[in-house]
Amino acid sequence: MKEQNSIPTSKVQRSAKFVGTGFKIGGNYIKHYSKKLFNPDMNNDELNQDNAADIYESLSELKGSALKVAQMLSMDKNLLPKAYVDKFSLSQYNAPPLSGPLIVQTFRKLFGKTPEQIYDKFELRSTNAASIGQVHRAELKGRKLAVKIQYPGVGDSISSDLKLVKPFAFRLLGMSEKELDIYMKEVEERLLEETDYDLEVRRSIEFSQACANLDNIVFPEYFPELSGKRVITMSWIEGMHLKEFLATNPSQQLRNQIGQALWDFYNFQQHELRAVHADPHPGNFLITPEGKLGVIDFGCIKEMPDDFYYPFFSTTSNELIDNKEETLKAFRQLEMILPKDSPGQVEFYYGMYKEMIGLFAKPYLTETFDFSQSDFFDNLYNFGEKIARMPEFKQARGVKHFIYVNRTNFGLYNILHELKAEVKTDTYKPHVLLEY
Amino acid sequence: MVTKESIQKAYIDYVLTDGEQPKSVYVFAKKQKMAEEEFYKVFGSFEAIEQSIWTDLAATAIAEVKGQQVWAGYSAREKALSFFYSFFELLKSKRSFATWSVKKIHKGFATPMVWQGLKSEFEALSISILQEGIESTELADRKFFADRYKDALWVQFVFTLNFGINDISAGFEKTDEAIERGVNVTFDLFQRSPIDNLLEYGKFLVNNGGIKEKMGF
Repeated sequence: MKEQNSIPTSKVQRSAKFVGTGFKIGGNYIKHYSKKLFNPDMNNDELNQDNAADIYESLSELKGSALKVAQMLSMDKNLLPKAYVDKFSLSQYNAPPLSGPLIVQTFRKLFGKTPEQIYDKFELRSTNAASIGQVHRAELKGRKLAVKIQYPGVGDSISSDLKLVKPFAFRLLGMSEKELDIYMKEVEERLLEETDYDLEVRRSIEFSQACANLDNIVFPEYFPELSGKRVITMSWIEGMHLKEFLATNPSQQLRNQIGQALWDFYNFQQHELRAVHADPHPGNFLITPEGKLGVIDFGCIKEMPDDFYYPFFSTTSNELIDNKEETLKAFRQLEMILPKDSPGQVEFYYGMYKEMIGLFAKPYLTETFDFSQSDFFDNLYNFGEKIARMPEFKQARGVKHFIYVNRTNFGLYNILHELKAEVKTDTYKPHVLLEY
Repeated sequence: MVTKESIQKAYIDYVLTDGEQPKSVYVFAKKQKMAEEEFYKVFGSFEAIEQSIWTDLAATAIAEVKGQQVWAGYSAREKALSFFYSFFELLKSKRSFATWSVKKIHKGFATPMVWQGLKSEFEALSISILQEGIESTELADRKFFADRYKDALWVQFVFTLNFGINDISAGFEKTDEAIERGVNVTFDLFQRSPIDNLLEYGKFLVNNGGIKEKMGF
């Protein structure tokens, strides 16, 4: 893999990148319409593919938070046409690494020693990009380690990056500006947390201990004394990424086992810890040769306050959703129905949200759920596309917590779908409150 | 015992406390309770002290990077980066002095006196790194220009030094970024580029494309 020699960091440079992308996309549209002139039957697939490729190209050169946004967009398959999704998924694995001397320098700043003085063995070429950092193999006292190193100046550039991505996200997602602002602010907060490696080590240890009793899940061991502001040292987990794993044609039983581990991991956190690993993109998981799920990144944690948790997850229970009066109260608390709505609007949104939740909650309603069925996902996507086109949904609705909680759960559903796993869904059930 | 190091240390302490050079060697020596001739045995002037401090910084940084196990495996680009990082890391320990010394330098094209030793250390390193790079074909061997690579690198170094002195970011992270980007840009220019290919293609066409005849050369 070719090493990337510099991240364009100043805003001007980054802007230039995005402007370039803008031109390319413009060009793609021109190409598309001139072709369409001769062939009126052509659909938008090719155009979307061209656009996604160009956007991906510019995002992957920007690295840092822009890459993170690409990852995020690629999670929301329900919001994006398929072509975007395929391209954006690339960013989840391969991003070019930074120079060796900068890594040495980072260590000297943090520990006053070079990596070779700290570890018995340290590979200067990185094995994996971790979007705002990269991962290196190391060894100490016979133990294999993974060392995650962050690029300098990441925190600085996040805010300005997000501002730049905004017009593109705006186009891609077709959201209203106000909605996007809520989204961006929440994203910015989470991203800034992710740049804090001290926090990540603390949380990783906390969460891996809290989840230690779950079946078929392994966590790396963290070494706080070898970690710091921009470096995290953890034990190396041998394993394959989801795509590689699926390429080996695993048995249904093994798929189910991994799927079950994922389900338990997320729902234990959501319903018992009320704080969840909110970054379910495939790059954060490894499947070990023993058929266990390795969780290797706790950078992004979403905490759910009670005034969000109860109304949101309680609507997944039939008992609440059948009681219209209480359901409306819950929707109001979640700002899905606003005080200024007319009675007609209240009815409309009540109907739509009830349908949406009915879809979303399906896996919760039965003891087991087969995530391989495409019907369920087609319904979800179609519904997503339907409401995306409705003028009523151009306006911002719902509290900000939805962003990451939705992303987490749709992300989870998507991974389970890719695994084609059948999962026991009653292992960790939502705590339900029936009155509001 | 008067040594090079003890005089350097005393001098740095003096200029940072008083904010200016001592009035004379006599004043300085008296304050340090040493004989004037002992001073002259080691240094000829105050500028010579400053020069030696800068030179020592470079020499220490060079010794340090060459001592690292990874050094041998580095490409020319990485060697240059490595030196820059080490030098600026060391500079932190003498940052106040460096700031004072740099601010005193008159801006101009000539290398200031106090940096002459630094420059020759730097050039010796640059030449060996660049030579290696050219031999390994990492860098393009261009007629006339290849000999000037070292000057480009020196300009880059002086620029980064000024940037570093004015850097106010926490932990001087901006300086790290300036190094990573600056050195990489400079080395990108040293590498084979489309322009080289274009020139060679032009040369080829002139020799073989019949252009010479048509143009009446």
